[in-house]
Amino acid sequence: MLSSLFSRCWALLLLSLALWTTSTTAEGETPEKQAADFFGRHESTSGHTNNWAVLVCASRYWFNYRHMANALGMYRTVKRLGVPDSHIILMLADDAACNPRNPFPGSVFASSSRSLDLYGSHVEVDYRGTDVTVENFLRLLTGRVSPDMPRSKRLLSDDKSNVFVYMTGHGGNEFLKFQDSEEISAFDIADAFEQMWQKRRYNELFFMIDTCQANTMYTKFYSPNILATGSSQIEENSYSYENDADIGVSVIDSYTHFVLEYMERINKTSQTSLQDFFNAYNPHTIRSHPGVRSDLFQRPLSDTLLTDFFGGVAHAEIFDSSSSNIDFELDEEFASKWQAVYDDACNAETSSDGGDAENSSERVAQSSIRKIGEKLDLSPGKWKEARKWASVASLGALIAWAASRW
Amino acid sequence: MASQYVFPAAVAARIFLCFTSLPEYLKYDQQLSTPLTSHLRLQEGIFLYKHDIDPYAGGTLRHSPLFLSLFTTLLPTSRLPCSVLWTLCDFAAAYSLVRIWRARQRVSSSSRDSLIASLYLLNPYLALPSLALSTATFDNLSVLLALMFASEGRTSLALLVTATATQLSIPSALIVLPVMLLLLTDPVSHLAVPRIFPVKLSRAIPLATEYLAYSVALMLACTTLVGSWRWIPETWGASIMLPDLTPNPGLWWYFFTEMFDHFRSFFLMVFSIHLVIYIMPVCIKFQHDPLYAAFILLGVLGTFKAYLSLADPGLFLSMFAIFPEVHPYLRHPIVTALLHLHAAPLLPLFHHLWLSEGTGNANFYYASTLVLGLANGAGLLDAVWAGLRTAIGDVEPKYEVVQE
Repeated sequence: MLSSLFSRCWALLLLSLALWTTSTTAEGETPEKQAADFFGRHESTSGHTNNWAVLVCASRYWFNYRHMANALGMYRTVKRLGVPDSHIILMLADDAACNPRNPFPGSVFASSSRSLDLYGSHVEVDYRGTDVTVENFLRLLTGRVSPDMPRSKRLLSDDKSNVFVYMTGHGGNEFLKFQDSEEISAFDIADAFEQMWQKRRYNELFFMIDTCQANTMYTKFYSPNILATGSSQIEENSYSYENDADIGVSVIDSYTHFVLEYMERINKTSQTSLQDFFNAYNPHTIRSHPGVRSDLFQRPLSDTLLTDFFGGVAHAEIFDSSSSNIDFELDEEFASKWQAVYDDACNAETSSDGGDAENSSERVAQSSIRKIGEKLDLSPGKWKEARKWASVASLGALIAWAASRW
Repeated sequence: MASQYVFPAAVAARIFLCFTSLPEYLKYDQQLSTPLTSHLRLQEGIFLYKHDIDPYAGGTLRHSPLFLSLFTTLLPTSRLPCSVLWTLCDFAAAYSLVRIWRARQRVSSSSRDSLIASLYLLNPYLALPSLALSTATFDNLSVLLALMFASEGRTSLALLVTATATQLSIPSALIVLPVMLLLLTDPVSHLAVPRIFPVKLSRAIPLATEYLAYSVALMLACTTLVGSWRWIPETWGASIMLPDLTPNPGLWWYFFTEMFDHFRSFFLMVFSIHLVIYIMPVCIKFQHDPLYAAFILLGVLGTFKAYLSLADPGLFLSMFAIFPEVHPYLRHPIVTALLHLHAAPLLPLFHHLWLSEGTGNANFYYASTLVLGLANGAGLLDAVWAGLRTAIGDVEPKYEVVQE
């Protein structure tokens, strides 16, 4: 009995000793490793430092209300998960909220319960109305914009940006209809993405499209690091989710409704991966067969977080400071002079009395001002009090002298 | 009679006003104080001086060192005592105006005394700058004291106070010659009977020497305070070189905002000489009445001074009260009065519209300064005409007076 207790104590002691040695040897980590550990804590290894979102609604007119609601719902979700307005390009025809046929003016709802107004408080539409064209979209992606294009309408992504491209509207086999007047083909988008890759305008790109026969739109991509998903396969329509009897039109599409509902369950710190998201696809409830194309995407989907594309979670690049060539030019003489002044003032104060902090700091400031005045040759000089009274006295003497004369 | 209540009411009103909180708002007004007279700059200068930094090094302080010495030793700097002090200075200035009147009329008291004092105290052009704690009150006081002592024949005091007036504000040097002429003659009105100057001019030389001696003594007192001669270009030099182009009701600032540097010195010289050239002709034309000459030259100052505030035309307008003999001969007093009534609200309105609202521009304010210049010029010309017309007296109906 006693011997087993004794052996248990020995085992415990050995175990604690082992633990202690491992912890002390682990103290010698480099700062880089510590920072990498800290930032890598949520286990995403994508290596991006900023997020961009390009949300395109390619339809106009009142009866395409649901496409507007799709894009606005995605806008709200992306903003909620942390992408700032400065990194979101929203392209909408923007003719639903203030449409004369809208019984709820200034509002766009995505469900018949009308519980959430997607057009409510702060919506920044970058391209509206007739600005939503194929040319503008392709110029936006490739960066070939005219010099007078304002910054808020440019895609200013760099090689460490994860870009989320969402498109919705009416589409078909390898095409998407823009504003009822023109169309963009899958080849155009694929070439645009290739230009982005060559210009190092994305780190990873997630392409989501909700139209009829949507999966055909991503079949032509050939650039690396692109992950694509669509709402319906070839020869299949995408359907709307529900109508609203008061608004009179459909308010949201099935696939986008599913995506938005899924996103409502995650927040900025979520560890949900894209594999989980794609696994949740239910063709029965969505009423079409969504597809995924991940052959160009180099990371495993189970390691890729949803917030890599939908959120604004940032990583940091660590570089060795000794290799940087930022050189601060300091006027040494000036700096030393000021330092000497301040040191003198501080020493004078600490030597005179140990007053409370406020008064002493003010006195330090005042004596510093005095010394600065002396050093910059601004001081009125010595005997200030005497000279002051001397000038007043001389004035009085003059008055007395003049009054005594006639 | 109700008129006997005017003067007590004026005194009561001024005392009441100095205890309100008006100075807090008025001291920022650009019409009432200029960079040379602003109370804010004086306080800044006093602060810098108390903290051993040369107040003239930064270009904020343009007041005379006499103000610095007085306000750091004897006089108060906090708001309420300052308001009381300024009101007392206005009372003293009104009293000296009454003494000038009495000297001119050769009486020891008259029924018009209270009216003249009320006209000085209730003149808004003088009351508002005084409430704004502008040091133009001291400038006006020193000018009126100089004229008072000169009218009463107290040579040394008159010359000392004139030297003080010049020290505080160099454009006041325009009244030096009239003061000397006044000391040599008398303040009594000779407008109706002009005569050649009765005294030999060489008797003015000892007066000029005494004046210069007092000026040098005051300059030395100022230099003692400051410790260097730096104050001269900062205070006196400001009226000549116009370094500060803060908008004021005067006629210089707009002209010099758009002046090319190449021509700046030329036009500064022109504008400064423009002030000086009035001295000799006015003193020659009004050699029979030097007090009236001083009055005209104060009108010139009130129109063409470098840093004009409303206190300068205010002194000119209040001094109309001591020359009742010219009132019947004023040709357009109503026009002058209406122009002043027009200019006075227009100035702060356009200033606000330009600088606060942003819906106007500098041309609006410049136009209002032109209206004030027109008002001042109309008053000045009318005073000159009336002063000369008095000499001709009543004219038979079939004759008229023309100017050759």
